[in-house]
Amino acid sequence: MIQTEKLTKQFGDNTAVASLTLKIGAGEFFCFLGPNGAGKTTTIKMLTGLLHPTEGRAILGGHDIQKEPVEAKQLIGYIPDAPFLYEKLTGREFMQFVAGLYRMTESQIADNTERFLELFGLDGVSDQLIEDYSHGMRQKLSFAACFLHNPSIVIVDEPWVGLDPKNIRFVKNFLRQKTREGVTVFMSTHTLSIAEEVADCIGIINDGKLLYTGTVEEVRAVAKNPGTLEDIFLELTQEDDG
Amino acid sequence: MSQVLVIFRAKLRMARHEVASIRDQSKLKVTVITVFASGLWLAAFGFFFAGFNWLIEFGGEAGSDPLKLGDIIMARMLGVLALAVFFMLIFSNVLVSFATLYRSREVTYLLQTPVSFRAFFMARFWECITFSSWALAFLGSPLILAYGRSSQASWSFYVAAAAFFIPFIIVPASIGCLITLILARVFPQQRMRVMIGLAAIAVGLLFLYIQDVLDVTRLSQDAVLAVVMDATVQTQSPLLPSYWATRGMLAAAEQNYGECLFQFLLLLSNALMLVWLAAEVAHRIFYPGYSFLAGQDKTRSKPLGKGILGRLDGFLRWLPNPSRALVVKDIKLFWRDPTQWSQFVIFFGILAIYIANLHGVGSSRYTTDMWRSWIACLNIGSCTLVLATLTSRFVFPLVSLEGRRFWILGLAPFTFQQLVRQKFWLSVCTTSLFTVGLAILSGKMLNIPPIHFWLSIYSVSMANFGLAGLAVGLGTLYPNFHEDNPARIVSGMGGTLNFLLSVMYIAVIVGAQTFILQWRAVERYTHPETFWWALGIVLVLITMLSLASALIPLHVGLRNLRNMEF
Repeated sequence: MIQTEKLTKQFGDNTAVASLTLKIGAGEFFCFLGPNGAGKTTTIKMLTGLLHPTEGRAILGGHDIQKEPVEAKQLIGYIPDAPFLYEKLTGREFMQFVAGLYRMTESQIADNTERFLELFGLDGVSDQLIEDYSHGMRQKLSFAACFLHNPSIVIVDEPWVGLDPKNIRFVKNFLRQKTREGVTVFMSTHTLSIAEEVADCIGIINDGKLLYTGTVEEVRAVAKNPGTLEDIFLELTQEDDG
Repeated sequence: MSQVLVIFRAKLRMARHEVASIRDQSKLKVTVITVFASGLWLAAFGFFFAGFNWLIEFGGEAGSDPLKLGDIIMARMLGVLALAVFFMLIFSNVLVSFATLYRSREVTYLLQTPVSFRAFFMARFWECITFSSWALAFLGSPLILAYGRSSQASWSFYVAAAAFFIPFIIVPASIGCLITLILARVFPQQRMRVMIGLAAIAVGLLFLYIQDVLDVTRLSQDAVLAVVMDATVQTQSPLLPSYWATRGMLAAAEQNYGECLFQFLLLLSNALMLVWLAAEVAHRIFYPGYSFLAGQDKTRSKPLGKGILGRLDGFLRWLPNPSRALVVKDIKLFWRDPTQWSQFVIFFGILAIYIANLHGVGSSRYTTDMWRSWIACLNIGSCTLVLATLTSRFVFPLVSLEGRRFWILGLAPFTFQQLVRQKFWLSVCTTSLFTVGLAILSGKMLNIPPIHFWLSIYSVSMANFGLAGLAVGLGTLYPNFHEDNPARIVSGMGGTLNFLLSVMYIAVIVGAQTFILQWRAVERYTHPETFWWALGIVLVLITMLSLASALIPLHVGLRNLRNMEF
């Protein structure tokens, strides 16, 4: 479902992402790990079409995001780390707006809006302006809006910020459930314990270069001192720095 | 170092970085804006200079003592302008200070640092002054220079004008901040809109008064001097800061330095007293007001989206998505942003005054072809200037206002062409409603001849396309995604360029029409067939220019958006 071929992004002389090649299948939960400034968000922005790659290409559901953006975007749902939303819309209005952008039918809009508002516990505040929402509520609204059009690929950038433990567990289980239904999840995170728990496959990036990719067990096998994913992550990224 | 100085230093560094970033901007863009801004300044100077000279000559025609009479009228006019600016600055500071003191993202950061509320207020206060008063410095300087030149004032007048400027802008800024501090403390958030609305009405009434003072039709009456003097007597109240400023500057022009110094010290001492008072009030009531606003119960007694705005989606059902979703979103965001509609209220207040006064001008007094032509051409100029104001202030920031939420649109399965097209048509449909309506109404009230009337309708209709395309195109070419305040977005380089190009566009189309209609007024009986040919050429010119004004910026803006990274 997600394929990148030598995906590269340069900002002037600085190479943020270098020749990244990945292949993630349908229904797979892929966790993208890396220290700050490693190139995770840049990769995500190239996958979603928010950044133009300097070289290479990203193919989502068979569509090149640069050449067939409309077709590719129809398949994607995205949850950013900082949910900047339209402050002067209510939660329900925001959902209806997003549904309109995805050309959903009136009945789909009505059904899905209420279903997802309720699912994410926002039905009680759906007629309040988003400017009155807490960070966690905004994050939940981003989740609700992301799944509104039944995307087959979900790209999530550090989704746990602002969520309480109960909601973290809910979101974790929800994303797992979605992968069982065939949705591909590409998640960037620093919360290694969660990545270890949910990922079918992980990728570790440092300084824009993909160091390792495979299942947690496969990555553990290449570490000198196998332990938790956190131990492996620190060892691999430090080794690369050295 | 004091906390205020620390904040100032940081602000100064930010300003330096901002100026340094101009080096990275397109040289062509910087050159074009500099040239146009200089042109605008010179045009303003020329306009004021001609106006003041006309007043002097007018005094001469009255007979008794030409120099003295002109001087008196000019001094009164200066007083009227200063008073109008004074009240406009108060209102502008109320709006700016609410955003700067309570809504800015910096506030949250500063309030968790050990900065005293007094220091916090002082730091934000100067920011309010800068944002609310820079335009006065830009457009006030040609006025002062024109006044000095036409009244042949000595050098001391210019020195005094520069010296009086700072305390003069401090007084309304302090009053504006005091009003905001008290409103935020005393009234619940929901009523803030009502308060801003009332303030807008108050400013509208003030304009009504000032417009009455400046009613040009009265100047043709016999008792003109008495009318002007009577109407402007309140501007000469020694209790008004605007009077202290104008009186002081005029005293400097007359080389009466004693009075100039007295008025300056009077203004300065009041300015300092008001700054102190505002800082003390802020020290006592800012935080309770801020906490009150921040800690309000967010549950709304009446859920939003259930009234007319809630039905908007139904009204626009004929429009396909995603355009409908974007239009509904834009209208809701506009309506719920007090900084947008409060300016809209002021704008329409001024427009109402214009319409209310057309009746006098359209009376049977102006019967000659030449006068009726002039009135019709000036009316086209007014209608298109109204349109340029609407597009510059409300349409240009549309793309920028997507701001950091652009990721939502960037990810949505539609093309940027659809987005730009939606903004363009939304602008054309809304502004046409007001401006074509205004052209019809004013044309009827002015009783202008049919050919003038239809030409004005056609010009204004085409201008809606031209100016909407220009504003949307340049708004897309020079977006500012870091700013949420539309007033700040339009005051940037792109907004300035848009306004200047809009004025140029208007100058060309109104100039062409004035030429052809005046020519007709003079030559209609000798060359009737040539007129129709010339009219055809003017119509083609208006059409071509409007299409170019719309399509070229839209094309360039769209190309920029496609290449943009978020």
